[in-house]
Amino acid sequence: MQLNERGAGDSLRAGLMAATCALLAPVVKAQAPSEDPTQIDTGLLYYQEDGGRVRSLDAIVKLNRDLGDEHVLGAQLSVDSLTGGSPNGAVAQKTAQTFATPSGDSLTRTGRGEHSQVYSIAAGKQPLDTSFHDLRIAGDLSWAQPLGIGNKLAVGAHFSKEYDFISASANGMFSHDFNSKNTTLGLGASAEFDQVKAVGGAPVAGSSYTLFRKQEGSESKRVYGAQLGVTQVIARNWITQLNLSVDRSTGYLNDPYKILSLVNATGVTTGYFFESRPDTHTRKSAYLGNKLALGSSVLDLSYRFGTDDWGIDSHTLEAKYRLRIGGSAYIEPQLRWYRQSAADFYRLFLTAAPTGFMSADPRLAAFTAKTVGLKLGLPLANGQEVSVRLEGYQQDPKVRSSALAGLSGLDLNPRLRAVVLQLDWRFGF
Amino acid sequence: MKIVFRGLAIAAIAGTVAMCTGCSTIGVKPWERDILARPEMALDASPVDNAFDEHMYFSKESASGGRGFGGGGCGCN
Repeated sequence: MQLNERGAGDSLRAGLMAATCALLAPVVKAQAPSEDPTQIDTGLLYYQEDGGRVRSLDAIVKLNRDLGDEHVLGAQLSVDSLTGGSPNGAVAQKTAQTFATPSGDSLTRTGRGEHSQVYSIAAGKQPLDTSFHDLRIAGDLSWAQPLGIGNKLAVGAHFSKEYDFISASANGMFSHDFNSKNTTLGLGASAEFDQVKAVGGAPVAGSSYTLFRKQEGSESKRVYGAQLGVTQVIARNWITQLNLSVDRSTGYLNDPYKILSLVNATGVTTGYFFESRPDTHTRKSAYLGNKLALGSSVLDLSYRFGTDDWGIDSHTLEAKYRLRIGGSAYIEPQLRWYRQSAADFYRLFLTAAPTGFMSADPRLAAFTAKTVGLKLGLPLANGQEVSVRLEGYQQDPKVRSSALAGLSGLDLNPRLRAVVLQLDWRFGF
Repeated sequence: MKIVFRGLAIAAIAGTVAMCTGCSTIGVKPWERDILARPEMALDASPVDNAFDEHMYFSKESASGGRGFGGGGCGCN
């Protein structure tokens, strides 16, 4: 190769080639583009919470096959294995407490066999059900194709199975390009059908824990959603996306394994009750995402506002900054901040006989969460890429204590900390 | 907060109408898409990261989704 200065003809040719490539490039890419028609993304994730809580190992294999003329077939298979302790909703006490596992039907140790259906929680400790374990297998299929000039249709289907939960869903999105492909307007809808098969049977909502009253059969849930999205090219180095989403769930929305403590005037637990949630839940969200190239680096900045008819409002801010460190290698610091208010019916514990809806699920409490992460991406030969991501996640509940004498000094809704290690490998053929 | 959401919805719809009716000052010419065509500028440049994140936050927080469809289909919440 000669290193002499290029002539005017070469410059013109190069410019025309760049313009041609640019004209052929679609405005919004569902996936990162590749010269290979088949793109495989694989990922392995290890998630570990502190204090003997949930530990999870997840694997994903994602395939995208470009069949030409913007017809793209996608498939994804994921497997999650979970073990560890999950909060059962009861509050800590200054004395030991005894609970039954979901398959248990008594708080008395039967002593039959090696698998006890009763577990004890030491004084001062958050009640965790350590019998929690599950294996989830999920499959997704997607198809995208042009539909007339400037239009695109994307459809998808999902199926997943756990020990106590089955889910099937379908979605579709129609989009149209405007303004020389600088604006894309999309409208989509989704439908999800779930079946809950609670271990030991679903408890009667709001009933006393010690009665072990169960509902007959399995419980079902349906979720219908709609989304309006706009993608806009703002400048040569800036693309933005705005999505408005709404979804409505109906059916069995309780967590069958969550209970609440009933405490007396001094804070001593006198009983436990199964939670009871409304059988409808409508959520709305507005998501604003941005991709901004700054030289060879890329800033990904997003904000999401969420609100629902359970009284939970949430704000999510996320920033990722991909910084090239030589060739195509990069490091990517990641920051995420999340805050939610509590559900109207969230109770840390009960102080009177229960009436109406109630739940002590920590995920319905008011809290702030922060994620700090760092990703390192390294290109390999033949367009392959490996990356490793390390993250720390911390959830700080707003209310963690009580002034009642029997509960003073106890951490009633402890902080959650988790570490995440992820390995990815991308290749094409 | 319903008022906030309503305000956001109105602003989004107004913005959409403004963009769709040909706000020619926003956007780029076809031959100016070189930076936007870079793989890392794709809106879903890291699909596996997003899938893991959606799943993790779905199981730990009340809000989920927003980017697109997905994140549900789990008995973890």
